[in-house]
Amino acid sequence: MTERNPNEESVLKEASPAYLAVADSDIDLSLLKDSLAKTPWERMRANDDALNFAESLRAAMEKRNAKPK
Amino acid sequence: MQNLSELTRRLISSQVEFVLVGGFAAAAHGVTLVTRDVDICCRFSEANLMRIQKAFVDLHPMHRSQPDLPLELTPEQCVSLKNLYLKTDLGVVDCLGEILGVGNFDEVLKRSIEVELPYGKCRILDIEALIRAKEAMNRDHDRITVKYLKEIKKQRGQS
Repeated sequence: MTERNPNEESVLKEASPAYLAVADSDIDLSLLKDSLAKTPWERMRANDDALNFAESLRAAMEKRNAKPK
Repeated sequence: MQNLSELTRRLISSQVEFVLVGGFAAAAHGVTLVTRDVDICCRFSEANLMRIQKAFVDLHPMHRSQPDLPLELTPEQCVSLKNLYLKTDLGVVDCLGEILGVGNFDEVLKRSIEVELPYGKCRILDIEALIRAKEAMNRDHDRITVKYLKEIKKQRGQS
């Protein structure tokens, strides 16, 4: 049997407002607030980072799913 | 490796007359959706188009619709162009003469804001005009972007 994490309840309570914010508006408000705290330049760089990370993941998945010749 | 920020920097450094529109403008406003290209609205004068060509000259710019055709603009071509869809080593750049829901370059320029970037000033379509443009396009991802932009307006107390 898995030992119960004594902090589990407080962790869940802490997480719930962010979860509700997502459910209310279709938008992850916590991510949006992080974004709005950045400068426009930092946001543009963040897009580049995310784009390149997504590309590397896609390439890795393609490689993994490739049929051996 | 894609680098949309570097493509934007090159446009500014080459003194291209343009306004950032589309998904990358939305990202600059705070939208957290990832975009894969740079969309600009620009003046389609010969001088300005030649500046665009110069900005990307070492990035193997090609016409996206004809992948084997390098970007080698002539004055005659510049007169007839309405839009320019490019592919470069650092990513895709769409140069548009007008924006649906907003208007031609002069209208877009009026509805832009100036943003200070580390390498110079960049004009970006204002949030209200960007919402109008995205609503006019009305594709699935445009509708999601509009939700984000309206939420950003709300968060900034502009609604």
